[in-house]
Amino acid sequence: MQWVFPIPMRMLRMHFMVHATVGLDIRYVFKIRANVQTYILRKDEPMKSVGTTTPAEMLDLREENQKSVQRVRRQSLKTALIFWSFVGPMIIGLTVFFYIPILWSLILSFADARATLTPAGWVGLGNYRAMLGDPEFIRALVTFTIFAAFIVPTTLLSALGLALLVNSVKFAQGFFRSVFFLPTACSYVLASIVWKMSIFNGSSFGLANTVRHTVGLDPISWISSPNPPWYWLVLVTVRLWLQLGIYMIIFIAGLQEIPRELYEAALVDGARRGWQTFRHITFPMLRNATIAVLLLNVIAAFQAFDEFFNIMSGGNQILARPPLVYLYNIALSDQNYGYGSAGAIILTVIIVIFTLIQGRFLGFGRSE
Amino acid sequence: MAAIVSRSTQSGRPRGPSAWAIIRLVLRYVLLVILALLFLLPFYLIVRNGLAAESEITSPNWTFFPSTLHFENIQELFKDTEVPFLDGMVNSTIIAVLQTAGQILLSALAGYGLARIAYRWSNQVFYAILVTLMIPSAVIFVPTYVIVSYLGWVSTLQGLVVPGVFSGFTTFLFRQFFLGFPRELEEAGRVDGLGYWGVFWRIVVPNSFGIIAALSVITFIASWNAFLWPLVIGQDSSAWTVQVVLSNFLNAQVLNLHELFIGATIAILPLVIIFLFLQRYIVEGYKQSGLKG
Amino acid sequence: MAQDQRLFTTPLSRRRFLQYTGSMTLGGTILAACAGTSGGGTTSNPSLPTLQQWYHQYGETGTHEAVLRYAKQYSKANVKVSWVPGTGNEYPNKVHAALLGSNAPDVFELQNPTVDQVKAGLIEPLDDIIASVKSDFNPVALKPLTINGKVYAIKMINDMGMIYYRKSLLQKAGVQPPTTMDELITVSKKLSKGSVKGLYIGPDGGVNALSYILGWAAGGDFISDDNKIVFNNDNVATAYEKLRELNASGGVLPDAPTFWWDPSAFTQGLSAMQWCGLWAMPGITKALGDDFGVIPFPAVGTQGKPATFFGGWAEMVAAKGKNVAAAKEYVKYLWIDNSNIQIDWNVGYGFHVPPRLSIAAQASKLKSGPAAQAVGYLNQYGHATPPLWDAAMDTTLTDAVSNILKNGANPMTALNRAADKCNTELQTLLS
Repeated sequence: MQWVFPIPMRMLRMHFMVHATVGLDIRYVFKIRANVQTYILRKDEPMKSVGTTTPAEMLDLREENQKSVQRVRRQSLKTALIFWSFVGPMIIGLTVFFYIPILWSLILSFADARATLTPAGWVGLGNYRAMLGDPEFIRALVTFTIFAAFIVPTTLLSALGLALLVNSVKFAQGFFRSVFFLPTACSYVLASIVWKMSIFNGSSFGLANTVRHTVGLDPISWISSPNPPWYWLVLVTVRLWLQLGIYMIIFIAGLQEIPRELYEAALVDGARRGWQTFRHITFPMLRNATIAVLLLNVIAAFQAFDEFFNIMSGGNQILARPPLVYLYNIALSDQNYGYGSAGAIILTVIIVIFTLIQGRFLGFGRSE
Repeated sequence: MAAIVSRSTQSGRPRGPSAWAIIRLVLRYVLLVILALLFLLPFYLIVRNGLAAESEITSPNWTFFPSTLHFENIQELFKDTEVPFLDGMVNSTIIAVLQTAGQILLSALAGYGLARIAYRWSNQVFYAILVTLMIPSAVIFVPTYVIVSYLGWVSTLQGLVVPGVFSGFTTFLFRQFFLGFPRELEEAGRVDGLGYWGVFWRIVVPNSFGIIAALSVITFIASWNAFLWPLVIGQDSSAWTVQVVLSNFLNAQVLNLHELFIGATIAILPLVIIFLFLQRYIVEGYKQSGLKG
Repeated sequence: MAQDQRLFTTPLSRRRFLQYTGSMTLGGTILAACAGTSGGGTTSNPSLPTLQQWYHQYGETGTHEAVLRYAKQYSKANVKVSWVPGTGNEYPNKVHAALLGSNAPDVFELQNPTVDQVKAGLIEPLDDIIASVKSDFNPVALKPLTINGKVYAIKMINDMGMIYYRKSLLQKAGVQPPTTMDELITVSKKLSKGSVKGLYIGPDGGVNALSYILGWAAGGDFISDDNKIVFNNDNVATAYEKLRELNASGGVLPDAPTFWWDPSAFTQGLSAMQWCGLWAMPGITKALGDDFGVIPFPAVGTQGKPATFFGGWAEMVAAKGKNVAAAKEYVKYLWIDNSNIQIDWNVGYGFHVPPRLSIAAQASKLKSGPAAQAVGYLNQYGHATPPLWDAAMDTTLTDAVSNILKNGANPMTALNRAADKCNTELQTLLS
């Protein structure tokens, strides 16, 4: 049977090259499989005549076989070398500064490690059990799952809307783009101070309460009053202000990549401007940008930290405490690295699950 | 969509815009101006507080415009011997420039490799990079610190710069971008006999100025605004970044808000200038890509 | 009270610094300013051991110069001082990380040592340097620093909190300073007029400022001397219920630009009274002259007593340092032997109480007026938690009080649940 291989391998190689130029796409993988199968089926016939092959022919075939295997090996080795020359430096750095620490955390999550990064004893799943039985951690997880369900679509739609709006005008487009992107330049700490001190301060001054005062309304304790939960207004606005710019830019980049001819063709075909072109051209063409924004958003929602940490201080923390703030306290302040690592792993698993679910719906893994 | 639609309106249809189109345009600008004012408001408050007297920042008789502007706050900040503000700006510049250059280079390479080189483990490598985005960094902070300290990098420039050079985030964005890069261009290069490296440097990079500029800005900002790592790694006031310097005004017993805000204003200026400057290149980058008119 | 200050400090490994500057062209730019700003290192004598010392950044003007001066005065070692800025727990967190790395500071301050740090062998017992003068420290102040009978830190400053009140405003309203929790509620309410409120206890309804104070003021405690969790009782529960009542009375300033440890809400006239620290007294005197008085936090219920916290900072020595003996000697020089430094450090900038009783008695600035009252409150009503009460238990208690105050949780139920959690943690620590 061995001799059957050369040609499929060669075909594979050809497809490999197609692949390289076209990029990995599941359709091509299927195509390769289909081709290989047809070839094998086709080759069934010659197989019957194996007995008639002369020894010389056999030798020839074997030689060709070997050469081609070598060629394929050389080829894949070459591809590997090129791949690693592009990706290698990043992977080496990530190994030292991410993978080793992550692995370290994973090991610690099964250990008793307090005020030390050397496991002092193994506790099996004890840390995980304790963390999942901790009502405050569970509360943080539930709160931020709800938060993600709200903030992710809100951010996505706002950023897309902003990008479309900015992109729809010609005059001063650069100016508006800059204005909406500028908040990205502000640090979270500074933004938190401005929000807490100058905009949503709960005493009789600060911008929001000054405005309320001028229209004859009583001041509101925006941040500290549990009911109604105005603090979400504070937290959501500061987050949108800080983050919309980046996502808007990603969408604008995507928008400007769409060939104008597509719209012209659609209009010629009788499509209506507005919703129809958006639905059938703009949105599908923004797929990569949307996937990027969604993924980053989900991660950002579950890893929310800075503005919550800085705005919801002291006894207000419990009103809206992200899982990460809870874990930060355990790992850095309490130095309970084993327990904190278990929480981090749980959080990571949750983020991975949400990403996978999202990938299901959006075909994120299409490049497989 | 509207942008392109309106553009095609202009090019494709000779008759003048209808009244409805004009109204729509005006409404768009009204909306843009309102949003722009809202987005600029916090910046106004930062500058306002920076130029106000200390008591007017937290005064019970808070006013939108401070009664007098105290430009001497700027002098005070630069003369404050306790806080090396200027050194902080210099340090932040060096660190942010190095980090941005390194990160963009390595991420673009990795992003291109992942998007275009058909290596059999390429997807697994991509997912491994994606995972680094999902790990809550606060929790691997201490192990990372310990590794860096055993490398002997505490209080060194490489300790401040190198760990920040490797970014799954930027790699991910580059990969997404390169997935959508027009293949015809690359194929043309390959027909001319270029290998992957040749295609990357001669064709892909020159046609990706837009994304490179955009991600450089994001990287630069992140590096400029980083706080916890520079605080923990930079163990001497001469190695403080500007964010660490600013945190001097925010400590326990005594708050120095006017210096904090004027310092913050000055610390944001370079970012604003860089963005306004690169803005041009982002736009140009798209023009250069040749396909997008 | 773990929060009475938020701090930062940094050490610098100068030798390593120079080593790398030599090899890195760009490194030179960042590090060039080193000699100019770090101080303490300019007169190094190569035959002496080198010590890294970390302070968190104290806010008061002149404190940075002061610590550099102390380091320079010391002749038996070259001391490099790092002054760490930051907010919240960033300073202690930085120390925690550094202790696990390869270049921990030799000498550093923290608010207290932890049982875990001792178990992990990170810090050095200091009994030998404190032994001769141990009786000159208030036993309450030593409690948080002692683990298994050994002292792991030398107190540098004592901090305490109290209620500041504006005499003129109380007079105008015709009320006396409150002496019980119930009076505090009614007086706060009477003092509230328009945008001026009666009392400021922080923007979180007093959880951060008063969680511990209320427990102590109700006659309770958190962990007993025989290592039992004891805060889940009716007295303590009632105290937190009173806090809820106080917040609902309308007499409390709900928010201000700054936290309770900054006196600006009080000095700017946003509130007639404020819970704040002794450290703020020089600033308050500057702003209000003698138009203020101080009272301890009043007793809650019939079994209560006024209360304050015994806070502050303490110097510790890293066990894995290269010059442990030299580091200990330096700590002894600063905080045991040198009374000038101790007085200068405690009352030269902000106000704190020198931990050594004999030296506190010499501090003339603490001998009269409200400052003297404050010292009296500290000695009479001061409380502290032992090292067995750790950061995890602190979070648990804070969460419970927040739940009572913010989410309307039943106080006793919330405290019982918190006590269970604290017990689990306690058993781990004791094992």
